Amino acid sequence: MRTVILDNEAVQALSDATHAKHRVVLAHLVGIAGRRRRGDDVAAVVPTSVSAEAGWDRTDARSASINRLRIADRPLDQATANLAAAIIRRTGVSVADAHVGAAARGAVGDVVVLTSDPGDMVRVSSPTTITAVRI
Amino acid sequence: MYHMCVVHSVSMTEANVLDQIIALLDSDDAETVNTSMRLPTTLRSAAALAVEHLGIAASTTTLTAAALRSSIETAVMEHALADHFDQYPAARPTVAEVAHALALQDGSPLAARPDVIERAAKDVLRRHRGATPDDVLLWAEAQQALSA
Repeated sequence: MRTVILDNEAVQALSDATHAKHRVVLAHLVGIAGRRRRGDDVAAVVPTSVSAEAGWDRTDARSASINRLRIADRPLDQATANLAAAIIRRTGVSVADAHVGAAARGAVGDVVVLTSDPGDMVRVSSPTTITAVRI
Repeated sequence: MYHMCVVHSVSMTEANVLDQIIALLDSDDAETVNTSMRLPTTLRSAAALAVEHLGIAASTTTLTAAALRSSIETAVMEHALADHFDQYPAARPTVAEVAHALALQDGSPLAARPDVIERAAKDVLRRHRGATPDDVLLWAEAQQALSA
């Protein structure tokens, strides 16, 4: 089982075909789809605070394309919010980054974070070990 | 012009179908249905044995539903990506780029050698046109082991 979490910049790059890193993030998603096709249990997810920060409104017609990529929401429910609050207290990061950390800590199996800031993602996810991939 | 209209119409239809499938997959509706789907008897028996003795799911129904959902979700993702690349051909990553992305996700030492991956992709694709990014990684790793 592998969970691939998108951070703010990964979502922004994916949402905008003119973004410099659009193709890079798509390469990751194509890889995920290929691994799923061969039977691996891999999921791409986005913490909902990241969606909000990146401006990904699933009800907006402009999001139609990205909505179809089966990137699952990780909502900020009570337990996740408590964990995110503790991460913010410890590290002083934004709500969205703390939500990434909380999602990483709640994930089962390998955790990969696609991010513009691998150092921060490792910090917010601690003590869970993650693979932070710089996009 | 006619051709362009037809292509656009087909593409819109597929997008609508994908949206409908997604809406159904994401629905909270827990209602179940007794399906008339016919399964080979042997497959059903194999599934029952796997559930009972290998513990791969809580029931054959759960197993079937999970496998079906996963297969549909993967197909939706693949079609959505293909649609996107039809619309934005420049956004389509090469096999080498996808292999590099997977090497990064895997934490493979090859992630630091995109040049090796690029060369492996050229070698493999010259011999096997349908090679996958994972084929490329395997080839690159084998080549590195041989030259070590």
